[in-house]
Amino acid sequence: MKKYFLLCAMALMLMASCGNRPEVPSSSIAMQTLPAIFPDYCNVTVPCNIAPLNFMLPAAEFEACVARITMPDGKQQTYGNGVKVQIPEKEWHAMLNAAKGQSLQVEVWGQKQGQWHSFDSFAIHVAPEPIDEYLSYRLIEPTYVAWSYMEIAQRNLTSFEETQIFNNEVTSIDREKGQCINCHSCQNYKTDNMLFHVRLSNGCTVLVNDGKISSVNLKRDNTISAGVYPSWHPTEKLIAFSTNKTRQAFHTQHLNKIEVYDEASDLILYDVATDSVSIVCNDPDLLEVYPTWSPDGQYLYYCKSVPLPEEMRDKDIRTFYPKIQYNLYRRSFDVASHQFGEEELVYDAASNDKSATLPRISPDGKYLLFAEGQYGCFHTRHHDADIVCVPLGEETAERVDMTGLNSDGFADSYPSWSSNGHWIMCGSRRIDEYSRVFISYFHNGKVEKAFMLPQEDPEQNLFLLKCYNRPEFMVEPVTISVDEFQRVFPKK
Amino acid sequence: MKRCYLCESQKNIYLNLSSILTMLLSNSKITKAALYASLLAFIGFVVYILCKNEEVLYAAHDRSEFLYGAPFFQHLMQKPFGLMQYVGAWLTQLFYNPWVGAGVLAGIWLLIVGVGKQAFRLQGGAIALMLLPVACLLTSVVDLGYWIYLSTIRGYWFSQSVAYLIMLLLLWAAQATPRRWHWAWYLVGASLYPILGWFALLFILCLVVSGKLSWRELLGVVIMLCTTSIWHGLLYSNFSLSQVSWAGLPRFVTPSDCTESLTTPFWVLGAVSLLIPLCCRYLNNAIAPVLSAAAGMVFTLSFMFEDKNYINEMRMVRSAVDDNWQEVIDIASAADKPTISMIMLKNVALMHEGKLLDESFKMNGNSSFPLNNPDSIQVSFLEIASPLVYYNYGMVNEAIRLSYECAVQTGFSPFYLKMLARCVSATGEEKHQDRFLALLHHHPYYKDWHPAPVSDLIKEQKQSYEDEITGVENTYSYIVTSVSSWYESDNKLASEQALFYSMLRCDSRRFWRSMRKYVKLHQNEAFPLHAQEAYIMFMDKAPEEKRMMIPVEQGVYNRYKAFWERFEEMAQSRYSKEKIEEEMHKGWGDTYWYYNLFGRKVL
Repeated sequence: MKKYFLLCAMALMLMASCGNRPEVPSSSIAMQTLPAIFPDYCNVTVPCNIAPLNFMLPAAEFEACVARITMPDGKQQTYGNGVKVQIPEKEWHAMLNAAKGQSLQVEVWGQKQGQWHSFDSFAIHVAPEPIDEYLSYRLIEPTYVAWSYMEIAQRNLTSFEETQIFNNEVTSIDREKGQCINCHSCQNYKTDNMLFHVRLSNGCTVLVNDGKISSVNLKRDNTISAGVYPSWHPTEKLIAFSTNKTRQAFHTQHLNKIEVYDEASDLILYDVATDSVSIVCNDPDLLEVYPTWSPDGQYLYYCKSVPLPEEMRDKDIRTFYPKIQYNLYRRSFDVASHQFGEEELVYDAASNDKSATLPRISPDGKYLLFAEGQYGCFHTRHHDADIVCVPLGEETAERVDMTGLNSDGFADSYPSWSSNGHWIMCGSRRIDEYSRVFISYFHNGKVEKAFMLPQEDPEQNLFLLKCYNRPEFMVEPVTISVDEFQRVFPKK
Repeated sequence: MKRCYLCESQKNIYLNLSSILTMLLSNSKITKAALYASLLAFIGFVVYILCKNEEVLYAAHDRSEFLYGAPFFQHLMQKPFGLMQYVGAWLTQLFYNPWVGAGVLAGIWLLIVGVGKQAFRLQGGAIALMLLPVACLLTSVVDLGYWIYLSTIRGYWFSQSVAYLIMLLLLWAAQATPRRWHWAWYLVGASLYPILGWFALLFILCLVVSGKLSWRELLGVVIMLCTTSIWHGLLYSNFSLSQVSWAGLPRFVTPSDCTESLTTPFWVLGAVSLLIPLCCRYLNNAIAPVLSAAAGMVFTLSFMFEDKNYINEMRMVRSAVDDNWQEVIDIASAADKPTISMIMLKNVALMHEGKLLDESFKMNGNSSFPLNNPDSIQVSFLEIASPLVYYNYGMVNEAIRLSYECAVQTGFSPFYLKMLARCVSATGEEKHQDRFLALLHHHPYYKDWHPAPVSDLIKEQKQSYEDEITGVENTYSYIVTSVSSWYESDNKLASEQALFYSMLRCDSRRFWRSMRKYVKLHQNEAFPLHAQEAYIMFMDKAPEEKRMMIPVEQGVYNRYKAFWERFEEMAQSRYSKEKIEEEMHKGWGDTYWYYNLFGRKVL
């Protein structure tokens, strides 16, 4: 009996392994083109520790797909399961290790109406530099006004493991108000100092200070709102926030569909140790937003709108919203006195009839990354928005060529650097309305072709009806559970 | 003595009668006959109720979310009862063909009767007691009313029946094992809480009440009471305890509304399931089947939601989605007191058929009546038909937004997936369309579904207005206001719509602007009846200076004169407002004049 059981088990295992290890077709029609795989991983450069780049051929066109991966030492592995290619994690990481600093060659065959077609092979270049192990993001529908379940999640980039940091239902006590959670932020890519906001029901900012959780109300008498977009000082227990009176409106024809704009916005500095808030800038006529610290903590960078023409000032913002453009500024910061220096213009986008938002400084302090569109501050909804990278401190410096990261005609926004400065990430709507995470290799001022965040099932990118919002690198996971976070809220 | 004799004989008669009755009732043949008759009658009743609710069942599939792929599965599996919801959501797709879905559901209910007989060890007439749980489940399918547009409970239509069937199977298995092992079944029940939710607790309770009280039964009660907390700590700490408690018991709650009564059938289901093992031994007679079947029918009929407009709205939406405009018009013309959704759909259909300005007021005017909605829930045009109507007026961005707003809250059901696929096809966002088609193509009945090509009519209207940014607009009045302002457009269709909606608004300023544009763009064409009616009335009444002279038919003008003469006559005779309205409706209910004076305005 035992013998039969073992035989059956072995047969099952064999069948399972055969399913994912097909034979390379003996004959095929050469297509002399790259395969239209989804996601597009042809000739991308990936970190040496990334999760398997599983992909598929379009199910509407093909019946089956076979991929053969050749390592630099000539060893080969073949994969294919229906139209999908899903590579076991262990084997993939072994291949990455073997190809570090070199390339994997991938050959793809697709079966269409019983006939196999072969495509031009492509390379997956394996960079020697790893990527930060974790990524945090908010998963949310591409909402207009209504929302339902949302969560802040973290993903292990070396595998497919995704866990929840917090959700908007566990502590919501007022059904009618509902709850929104947003703007998670960590200090220096680490998670023992971090925060996220909870709005409406049980509203507060949840703050983790050296691993201890507390809830804070950042709305003070002299601020126009509670803290909104945060940036932790890299070394001190200080957080720069913008305070915003944000509104949204909807296009009746334009493909951008949604306009999000600020009626007012200022910058504040929150001192975690003393629970005190001080104003950084609050020009009543101008809008300051998206603060970010330089990696050494010596400067605070931010966006500030340019003054509007006189005749527009008293009109409804909805009539002149396309005229609101932001430039990038910075102010020096004295850590000892917590005093800011004079404002300096860092990047003049408006003079090119553009608007720059979401600045991020590379960890080596040499490059400035930001999102640029024609107007406004919410480029994640602007089809023309792209990521721009400029060297810092060089007056006539040329922009870095970002064609590898940017899409053509779709919103690319929310850029950020990995902690080692070799990986640039952005949220992009190039697939469709649903934003996905794209990552590019950055080396010696050059940006390689971006790859989409890999998923265990490549179709997940189609079937998940949520956007990846505010993706942030982390070098370690958030270890505080949802249950522990919820304890700082009043019970229902 | 004589009196005593009479008493004695009466007593004997009573005794005889009662013994005959007892004999009859306990006669197994009669009991069997009563059982079969009751079962047949109840089956007939179920078929009748399902027939009556055919359109509701179709709408159930159309408004229920089931998404192919891991994200939807994983999202449901994070919660207790998620697997049942997933199975239920999949099965709900079968209601695309209401008879297939209803057949499967009825099959599950037949199994419930059969398995329940074994699980509760029912014999003879007592078997009919299983009709009561079935009646509860049937009721839960037909009592939703307008909640069908708002419910966020995934797989509602099948999950309760499937889970109840599994619970009965477990109970059957447990009853087949010696009592001394029941403690193990209590543990099994508790361990199945993530799958069966509240039915796992019901299973433990049913097993407890089926035996004599001993330490085992007390243990069962203790296990049942602790189950939720244990699972909350073990597996569901990402949820609040209230979300985990009584998992799977349908709760009809939105951010602003709550309807407790819809949970009643499930409480009754639980109570009946507990009472059956206690009472069954006394009910093996001929009365039990009759009473059970009757009680079940009465229960269902008293909870079932019935309303003509509710069904008509569903039929109109279904036909409009299929671009079957004649069907929409036919339903509209048969409706007495249409709702705003019906009126908007009717006018969209008439626009497609080119009859708007000739027919719209003939079909029960354009007066709208409130929904017959006994619940406090706020269901409106937004949930019933708005994306569809916005789309057909070429207001595609709004249609996309409204589809998203509704789908985010109630689920990406086929209705919204199809709507979004059509909308993004109209905006040229092909990649976006692929996502919705990929999801739809995994539906058993939408494998080859593709949106109909965007009609010229929709394209024309889409081009007839400039881009602007607006606030949160989602009502029918926004359509009326927006479309009535299309008088600047040089498009013939847009000018017709602008004219019609300025008439509906009874807005003389917009009417004259629209009329001028309409006349300019429709030279040498027939002057539509309702446009003539409105023209005569605005010429006569509106204090406009710059009027224009257009020839109208003498018959229409004479009828207008008669309208006013009769109205003035009745007003002078001091009839009540209602009486005047009623009388005027008889003669002129099909005219714009009646709508203008008496109609329930759509604004």
